[in-house]
Amino acid sequence: MNPAAGLAYACNARVLGPAALRAARLYAERQARGGAGRSPHLAPPLRIAPRCKEMVARHWLEGRHAQGVRKVAWVTSGAPVEFLTALGFYLLYPENHAAICGTARVAVDLATAAEEAGYSRDLCSYVRTDLGSLFSGRTPVGRLPRPDLLLACTNICQTVLFWYRVLAEHFGVPLVIVDTPFVYGEEAPPHALQYVGTQIDEAVAVAEKVAGRALSAQSFERVATRSRRATELWLEILQRNRHMPAPISAFDQFVLMAPIVELRGQAATVDLYAAMLREVDERIRRGMASVREEKYRVLWDNLPIWYRLRAVAELLAERRIAVVASTYTNAWGELAPYLDPARPRESMIRAYTYPILNRGTGHKLHIMQGMIDDYHLDGVILHSDRSCKPYSLGQMDQRERLSGSLKRPALLLEADHNDMRCYADEQAATRLAAFAEMLEAQR
Amino acid sequence: MGALPAIAPRAEVIRHHRQQGGQVAAVLPVYAPRALLRAYGFLPVEVWGPPGVRTSDGASHLQPYVCSIVRNALSFLLSGGLDSTDLILVPHACDSLQGLGSILLDFVKPRQPVVPLYFPRSDGAGAQGFLAEELRRLATRMGEITSRAPAADEILQYVVDEETGDRLLLELHEARRQLPLTNADFYRLIRSREYLPREAFETAARQALTMRQPDAAPARTLLLSGVVPEPTSLMAALDERQVQIVADDTLCGRRRVCPPGRSSDPFERLSQSWLGGPPDSTRGSSLAARSNYLVSRVKASGARGVVFHMVKFCEPELFYLPSLRKALQREGVPSVVLEVDLNDALSQQVLTRLDALLEMIP
Repeated sequence: MNPAAGLAYACNARVLGPAALRAARLYAERQARGGAGRSPHLAPPLRIAPRCKEMVARHWLEGRHAQGVRKVAWVTSGAPVEFLTALGFYLLYPENHAAICGTARVAVDLATAAEEAGYSRDLCSYVRTDLGSLFSGRTPVGRLPRPDLLLACTNICQTVLFWYRVLAEHFGVPLVIVDTPFVYGEEAPPHALQYVGTQIDEAVAVAEKVAGRALSAQSFERVATRSRRATELWLEILQRNRHMPAPISAFDQFVLMAPIVELRGQAATVDLYAAMLREVDERIRRGMASVREEKYRVLWDNLPIWYRLRAVAELLAERRIAVVASTYTNAWGELAPYLDPARPRESMIRAYTYPILNRGTGHKLHIMQGMIDDYHLDGVILHSDRSCKPYSLGQMDQRERLSGSLKRPALLLEADHNDMRCYADEQAATRLAAFAEMLEAQR
Repeated sequence: MGALPAIAPRAEVIRHHRQQGGQVAAVLPVYAPRALLRAYGFLPVEVWGPPGVRTSDGASHLQPYVCSIVRNALSFLLSGGLDSTDLILVPHACDSLQGLGSILLDFVKPRQPVVPLYFPRSDGAGAQGFLAEELRRLATRMGEITSRAPAADEILQYVVDEETGDRLLLELHEARRQLPLTNADFYRLIRSREYLPREAFETAARQALTMRQPDAAPARTLLLSGVVPEPTSLMAALDERQVQIVADDTLCGRRRVCPPGRSSDPFERLSQSWLGGPPDSTRGSSLAARSNYLVSRVKASGARGVVFHMVKFCEPELFYLPSLRKALQREGVPSVVLEVDLNDALSQQVLTRLDALLEMIP
C-alpha cells in the first residue's frame, strides 16, 4: 500500500468524509421531518432513505480514495461478485455511476464527450455517459478509482462485452469475461451451466492473482450468506407492496436499490434492508400509502427514466396511479432462492445465469403475469428503452398479450434511461394521461 | 473486365434443391455451421435482411431502434418470404438477434421450427467444449426434425468438404487484385456462398480463379469493412468511379471465413474452426486484436483507404469503430463511415462522403 494514499484514505474515507456525510444525512432527516419539497399526492420518502443515501455516498467516497490502498474492480451490474468482495476488492459499478449521472442530469454532457470521441449516439447511454466521464475526467462523485481488474458478465446484455473491451484497452488491465449463454427455454442446458462454472473458476484465479492472495472459503461463504440475506430482505420489501395500498412506490425502489446492486455482500447492507423492512411494515400498520389516494396499481417494466423519476412519479400520482411493482427492481430479489451460502460457487452459477435479462421474452411475460396477480395490478407501463435492447425487445408482443388475453391496459412509453434527448415531456405526459383514461375505462 | 461465371439466382437454387427432395434452412447472421446443416439434408440459405422488403409486418413486433437486418428478416418471414424454408436457425450474434430468436420462439411461432445457437464470447478453456456441445444439440434437433441420423464419419466428411469451400472462398479474397471482375460481380460471386450448395460454389469459384491476371487492380483501391454491402448500388457507384475493393473485412464476408479445425470429431472440429476465426466484433474480440487484424489486411492488400459500411443501430460494429479509425489514422490510411439502412436507396449524401474519401487517396 502507498503510505500517502493510505493516510489520505484513512482521513478522508474513514473519518472526515463519513462525518460530513453523517451531518448531511442528519440535515436531510430534519428537512424530511419538516416536509420540505413534498408532493401533495405522494407519501414522503421512507425515513431510512437518507441513511441509504449516506451509505451509497460513503461507498463512492471510499472509491475516490481507494487507489493504492485497495484493489479495485470495475464490474457489470449482474456480475458474480461475491468472490471479489471476499478477496477485499473495492467494487465500482459503471452502470450505477452512469445512473447517478442521469439522476444528476449531467449524463447528456458526458455522453457528448464520448460522442465527440467517435462513439455513436445509437450506443447505450450508460456507456456513453461513462466513457464521456472517463475521457473528460468529469464525474459528480468526485473521482473514480482506476481499476486493477475488470469483470464483465453477459447476463444483462452483450453491450457490456464491448463496453468492457473499450475499458480494458483504455486502462490496460486484465478483463475477465463471464459469458452466460442466453436461456431461450425453461432451463439452461447442463453444458451451459458447466461453461459458466468454468469461467467463474477462471475469474477467481485471475482475481486471486490481482489481489495477491487466495480466496478463503470462509470469507466466500460469509459474503454469500450476506448476499443471500440482503437479497431476501430486498425481495420481502418489494413483496410488501402486495398490500393495498402499497407502502412504497417503484420510484422509491429505484433509488433504494443501489445497495443491493453494489453493496450486497456487506453486513451493513443486511442491516439497512432489515431496518427498511421494519419501516415498511410500520407504514402498512399505519395504513400509509405511497400514493395518497391510490386507485390504480400498475407495473413498471424496464429501467427507470433516471432524469425524470420524480416528474413521472408525480404525474402518475396526480391521477391516483401507484406504480407498485417493477420487473427491474424485482430482478435483484429473484436471485435470492438461487444463492446457497453453503455452496457458493455452484449456486452462483445458477444465480447469475438466470437473471430476467438472460431469459426469453416469454419468460418475462410470465413474470409480469405473476406480478399482476400477486400485486393486484390494473395495468402495465412498458418503458421502451432505446438504450436497452435486451430489456425492450419483446415488449410489443408482451403488450399485445397483456392488453389482450389479460385485459390489462399496457402502455409502451418511448424513452431512454439516461439520454434526455430521447425523451419528450409533453408527449410522455399525453401518453400517460391517455393511459390513465384507459385504466379508468377498464374499471 | 472479365465475365463472371454463371451463378444461379437464390430462388432457383432453392427450388431446385427442394425438387431434389432436400430441405432448406433459413440462416440468420452471422455464423452458421453449414456442414452440419448439409449433413442433415438442409441447404443453408442466409438471410441478411434482405433489403427492400415491406417492413410494416416486422414493425408490429420490433421497435424502430432495431437494425434493419433484424427488422427486415422478421418482415420477410411474416410476409411469406421464408415459406419455402423448413427450419430457421438463429445464431446468437448480438442483442437484437437474441431478441428476434426469442420473439420467434415465444410469440411469432412460425410454421418452421426455430432453433437458436449460442456462440461463446469467452476465450477461456471451456469455450470449445461448450460450442461443440451446442452443435451436438443442434444436430439432435435436426435429427428430430428430419428423422435423419448421419454417423459421425459422415458428418465429418461434410465438415471437411465445407472446409474446401471455405478455402476457395478465402482464395478468392486473397486473389482479389488479380481477378478482372467488377466490384459488383466479385461480391455477387463471394456472396453466392450464402446460398449455393458447396459443390456449385466451388465450380464458380474455381472458374473465377482461372481468370487471374497479374495485378489487375486500378490505382484507387479500398478495403470494405462494416456489416453487409447492401444496397448493392454501392458497388455500381464504386465501379463507376473506377475504384476497386481489393480487400474485404465485412461481417458477411472475409471476417467469418474460419480456418479448418483439427479434431476428428466433427463437432469439436467445427468448434475449433470457429474459435480460430478472425477477430470480430460479434465475438467480442479485443480492440487491439481487431485493429491489428484490420491494419494487417490493409497492408497486405495495398488498399489506399477504408470504407466502413455500417448498418444503422449495429451495436457490435459501432463499438469498435473509434478504435479502428484511430488505428488506421496512425498508419496514415484515410477512412470514411457510411451509415445505411437496408431499405434506403444509396443517398447523395453517402456518395458525397465516398467521394470525399476518394479525393484523399492519391
